[in-house]
Amino acid sequence: MDLELTRVDYSLSGITVSHTMELLPAGGPRQTQKVVIGDQDGVLQSFSMKRGEQQMVFKTLPGPPISQVCLGGATGTIKDKIFVSKKGDVQGYTKKGKIFLTFDTCLAEPIKSMHVSGSTLLLSGNTVYNQFRDCEDTGSFLSGDVINDIISLPAEKTHSLVPVLACADGVLRVLDGAELESQCRQSRGGSTRGAGPQSPRAAALRHEVRIPSAPTALHMSRQDGGESGQDVLFGTADGRVGVLSVTRNTAPQWRWLLDEERPGAAVSSLHCYDLAGDGEEDLIVARDDGSLEGTALSLSRRRAARPDRHAPAVPQTCPESVSSARGGVLNTQGYDEVVVSTYTGLLFGLTTERADGVSAMDSQTVSLSQDTRRRLQALRADLDGLEEKVAAERDRYLAAAENGNTLLSVVPHLSVNHKMSLIREEAAYLLTLEAATAIDNVLVQCDVPVDVLDVDRNSAVVSFSDCGPESGNKALVTFRCQMNTTRLELRLRTVEGQAGLLRVYVTPLVAPKCAALRVLSIPPLSLHARTHAAGPGDPGDRPYSTLTLRGPFSLAEVHAWLAACLPDVAAKPPAEPPAAPLCFQNACTGTVLVCSYSRGEAEFKSDNVSTISILKDCLSKLATRRSIHLDISCAVNPLSGPHAVRLMFPVLREQAALHRDLALLEALRDLDRETLAPKFLAILDNERDIRERHKRHPAYLDRLCGMLVDLYVDHHKFRGANARSRAPALLDAVHKAPLDGLLEALLRFFEDAGAP
Amino acid sequence: MAVPVFTLQLNHKLLPGRITIGKYDGSHSCLTAATTADKVLIHSPHRRLGSASQISGATTWSQVNKEISLLSVNRNVSAICAGRLHPELEQDILVVGTPSSVLAYNVENNKDIFYKEVVDGANVIVVGNLSGYEYPLALVGGNCSIQGFDYKGNDPYWTVSGDNVRSLALLDYDLDGENELIVGSDDFDLRVFKEDVMVGETSETEVATILAPLRGSKMAYALANGTVGVYNKLHRVWRVKSKNRAVSVLSYDIDGDGVEELVTGWSNGKVDARNSRTGEVVFKDNFNSSIAGLADGDYRLEGRSQLICCSVDGEVRGYDPSRLGTLMEGNVHQDAVRELLQKKQALLMELKNYESNTRSSGVQQSMNAGMIPAKTSLQTTVSINLGSKPKGVPHVELCLATNNETIIRAVLVFAEGIFAGETHVVHPRDEELTSTLKVELLPPRDVPLDIHIKALVGLPRTEQFHVFELTRHLPRFSMYTLTSVSEPLLDELPTNFVSFNISERVQRVILWINQNFLLSSELEPEAGGGSLSLSFIALRDGSPLNISMHSAGRVVISTSSMTLAGDLVQSLASFLNLSNLQVTAEFPDELAHLGEWLEKVSNLQEVRIQLGADLAHRAGLVRNLIVRAEDARLLPDLSSMREWHSQLREVNDDLINSYNIRCSNHNELLEILKQINLTIQKAARLRVGQNKADVVNLSRSALQNNNLHSLLKIVRTGEA
Repeated sequence: MDLELTRVDYSLSGITVSHTMELLPAGGPRQTQKVVIGDQDGVLQSFSMKRGEQQMVFKTLPGPPISQVCLGGATGTIKDKIFVSKKGDVQGYTKKGKIFLTFDTCLAEPIKSMHVSGSTLLLSGNTVYNQFRDCEDTGSFLSGDVINDIISLPAEKTHSLVPVLACADGVLRVLDGAELESQCRQSRGGSTRGAGPQSPRAAALRHEVRIPSAPTALHMSRQDGGESGQDVLFGTADGRVGVLSVTRNTAPQWRWLLDEERPGAAVSSLHCYDLAGDGEEDLIVARDDGSLEGTALSLSRRRAARPDRHAPAVPQTCPESVSSARGGVLNTQGYDEVVVSTYTGLLFGLTTERADGVSAMDSQTVSLSQDTRRRLQALRADLDGLEEKVAAERDRYLAAAENGNTLLSVVPHLSVNHKMSLIREEAAYLLTLEAATAIDNVLVQCDVPVDVLDVDRNSAVVSFSDCGPESGNKALVTFRCQMNTTRLELRLRTVEGQAGLLRVYVTPLVAPKCAALRVLSIPPLSLHARTHAAGPGDPGDRPYSTLTLRGPFSLAEVHAWLAACLPDVAAKPPAEPPAAPLCFQNACTGTVLVCSYSRGEAEFKSDNVSTISILKDCLSKLATRRSIHLDISCAVNPLSGPHAVRLMFPVLREQAALHRDLALLEALRDLDRETLAPKFLAILDNERDIRERHKRHPAYLDRLCGMLVDLYVDHHKFRGANARSRAPALLDAVHKAPLDGLLEALLRFFEDAGAP
Repeated sequence: MAVPVFTLQLNHKLLPGRITIGKYDGSHSCLTAATTADKVLIHSPHRRLGSASQISGATTWSQVNKEISLLSVNRNVSAICAGRLHPELEQDILVVGTPSSVLAYNVENNKDIFYKEVVDGANVIVVGNLSGYEYPLALVGGNCSIQGFDYKGNDPYWTVSGDNVRSLALLDYDLDGENELIVGSDDFDLRVFKEDVMVGETSETEVATILAPLRGSKMAYALANGTVGVYNKLHRVWRVKSKNRAVSVLSYDIDGDGVEELVTGWSNGKVDARNSRTGEVVFKDNFNSSIAGLADGDYRLEGRSQLICCSVDGEVRGYDPSRLGTLMEGNVHQDAVRELLQKKQALLMELKNYESNTRSSGVQQSMNAGMIPAKTSLQTTVSINLGSKPKGVPHVELCLATNNETIIRAVLVFAEGIFAGETHVVHPRDEELTSTLKVELLPPRDVPLDIHIKALVGLPRTEQFHVFELTRHLPRFSMYTLTSVSEPLLDELPTNFVSFNISERVQRVILWINQNFLLSSELEPEAGGGSLSLSFIALRDGSPLNISMHSAGRVVISTSSMTLAGDLVQSLASFLNLSNLQVTAEFPDELAHLGEWLEKVSNLQEVRIQLGADLAHRAGLVRNLIVRAEDARLLPDLSSMREWHSQLREVNDDLINSYNIRCSNHNELLEILKQINLTIQKAARLRVGQNKADVVNLSRSALQNNNLHSLLKIVRTGEA
């Protein structure tokens, strides 16, 4: 697929979130389509493009923010009915803009995602799934964690209702719609037989599929789920894309998974469309970091569509995060394009039509540039009107500021999107900030030591301010953004055990000037990431140390404590005891933490004594604050120290070697190449690589050393010895001991206190 | 993104900023660059075939690439420039600078024109005509000095600058048809020299690393902190700042509209061209590695020049306006649409803000968190705090206060050149939030400063804040606090001072003091007395400063720092519009150093000659020993071979030792020479106009004659 795409900008709406833009079905193959888009101001609009000009079909008045836009229609007909969810309501519009459905769901939670399958409406709030048939409640399901997206297998093909929930704990939950319905009927019939709460729930929940990270978007493969309508495409928060074959009764089967981790590039939208015009569907993936990819799905009869690894993707990036991307024909008949809507509400197309370039001589392109010229004029006129209006309002505002004595000046609500995602490879966080208009500056303040690192993609000027020892600030960093920056990324390196607050002040470039504060908490065990319980390939025989707590605490309390200590813990406590243990893995050392808890008792197992030590300090502090007396007992496995060192060692060795090479480089460059040993020549040859690696993870060795020392001190602390005085010797070994014997040298430190 | 008209690969690592282009045969452009291997690479794609055999000597033609020739310099190439140095030859001459020498080389004839040792080093070289000189000059900027060589190797031009010279440009500054010299130096200053008189001076926020002439009196500049901009005379037209550093700046008409754009090559491999009037980007491209330099020359023999960009990896790309014009058309429209859409969005947002403001201000106590009384205002005061606490140091204090119960959550102070970064942030603890906030400022240099303040103001515990933006001006001598005002004492003269006579009333001087010092209350121009005496204390080191004016128009500034005295004189002179000023200066402490330094220089030079002889002697010994050791090896006389080798090692150790001595000797010499240059510069700064230039010229001849007595007299009186 060797496509060259040209960007054409169409229009502007308010802020849009994921799944709020659709293309209405076309009248015929490669005919122009109409776009429908709903924004956070509550405006739903539909328009087509005619010779570069926007032709509005309809536009609604502002209202509550639109959370999702879906297309639907009665089974067997064209899906050209528009369904819109806002707060607790669902509205249906015809393609002409006439309301044919207004439905107040009376749900407690505002609707987050929606799917329409025939006459069945699937809705989800934060953690509750609901289904409605012809606007009649036919069942609900409480998920263990936040539901990010829902979809159901096509009813035409499967002849049953099979909803699939994408849940934030990294699980795809496959439900049985019919079972839910019968339960609902039973409970309404008043036949409340004393069946335990779990049993019907378990009956409705058909399968739970664990996927590597939290899924963020679902889509049926090739729109209809393949021949048998079973293939579900999913995208995850760390940028992976995969296909799963799901049926109601048989266990789900993996088709394929693009196992390429891309931190911060969560998939926001998936779509299948034959972009290249070669008869095969292409997969269009849109991401939070503004990147778009088109990948060819090669079709084979027996297997599900699978992206051809060798087919070149069509990568495109835009400086804002993409909320939806759809393949279709919008601007010019006969030219396929990808229509993209972004967070700030910009709608543009990446078209196969060439707007300029070599073939710029034919009449069509000339007329196109005339069209653009006309568009420009229209836009300018539009702007002039706006500017006048704004100037008048500005004067009124200033006048009000001068004489209004009792008046209040109110800052408008600033929409600032922020996201923290852990980059496992670097054991650092990626903080993404995005505002609706261009950002002027960003101030990052933290009260615990964190390293704020710049990202190469940024064009902002970074300035680190001095933090006085008495000011209580450990980091003060300002980013002065260049023109038209709406999105800023920065990397944060935290230290485990140092918990605190990170304050981010974002000042957009809009009058009246104001700043939005976002407070992010850095949990004590910040480098732990949620995983599934000991998966395949995980050594089962880790030497666990155990921390046990007993006391008069409730399940909700202990859950809240955990949520304060660890990232990615759901806000709500698990519904029913005994909950499945929560598992975490340290991104830096690879050690795990398993938490199992219930009312009155909690047990934490980890193969890293530092983790246990931090957890113990934190939990006892939290319990003291609520004046709950805890009975804490600790069983430390003497093998866990050396075990953790062994886990850390490969990275440590690599970094130590890197540092030694780096130190040698300068000296080696002055020497005559001919006389050097091959070992040193290799260092010289790899100079660029060495510097690159060092630049990518600056001061990584220092961080590892910090962890090693903590581990060493904690290891001996639990055995009643203070080893801090010997820590310098340990560090000395890292820097000086021969690499081949380094592991043994380090392990010797973890032996009995008598050893060196 | 632009499409280059040609690309080629030199396969050599190039040094950033050391790229030039010359027509060495008078008609064909040759790209010339310094490589990391201490060589100068000359790329001549249009070289006549067969001439390779004729060329011999210093340049060697590459065996692999017939278009490349290399000139071995064997010393780090610190600057390179090609230009018409020879007034009679229609060929460009290549001038190569190293940390200790300058070489002018005729590439076509493969002949050195001259080779000169320059003790101050050659940080930067430009070749061209300078007003007042008959022949073209190769101007060499070194440590605190600028030397101009003509084609014979004479140096008719010499002047000193405030610090190490980093950038030079020849530009018709006053539009009189002749070039003036613009100098950027390590003390962040830009100075304009017409012949050897300084006609303009301005201070930047960082070291100006690159200067390039644009059309007319316009000049492009780049600073070490990533700023690029345009000056028209000494007025800044625009500037932009990036987090990357500019490596090379060039004026080239990339869009073919007849007006040159400012093309910048960045350290991250980006090349962009900006409109020289507005700074708007009209063209950009990316390289995989840092840019080494930019040049323009006719590389395709089509009668017009291309923009040539080189990366440090030796990748070369050429661009020209023809291809760009058609290509940009479509993109320009698309970009315009996008830009208009963005503008529209910003306006819509602003409109929405005002609307929501009027809507909610009617409703008292709306739920919106970010509100403040409409009459909230922010007052700022700048004062001097002498630091009462035991740990506190004297500083300039900026005090911000709101007029009601709102709190100041944080303050961002943006000012270049006084903080480690460009911004200073004060973010108090939650429990210490009040409606007032104090910011400590410690300007390290005496320059007027504009500080931009952004204060986040809101009610306690809100998540949205109003941002108050304001700019305060900090006077030039804000780090001096007034201690007493009295009548001047007539007889007693302090030990360190400068004195001069001006024909101005004392009121004008008081006006100058009010404008340039940070005073708690403005000085009243006294009605009767025509005299005054003011005592100040420097906040930085607590040293005293006294400015007094007698009724006869005699001004005495007494301070132990010659630099400060110079700054004060220059500031006063420009305030009073003095075109010439001669002063009497007494700085016995600094002058005593001058004598010491001169003596040291002659000592060091003696030592250097001695060491040189020593080195030659030892090198001879080494040769001798190696021959003997080799003989012994051939004879198989192992014991004596060992003997010779051990002796050889001793001699080698000695050699290394004496080399180290020579090195430190050389560094010491450089440092002292720099100090001498600096002192002359400081002495010159005490005068204004022609008197200032005289000091430099007279000092130079005194130095050449090694006449300490005369030098001291020049510093004291400004006359020989």
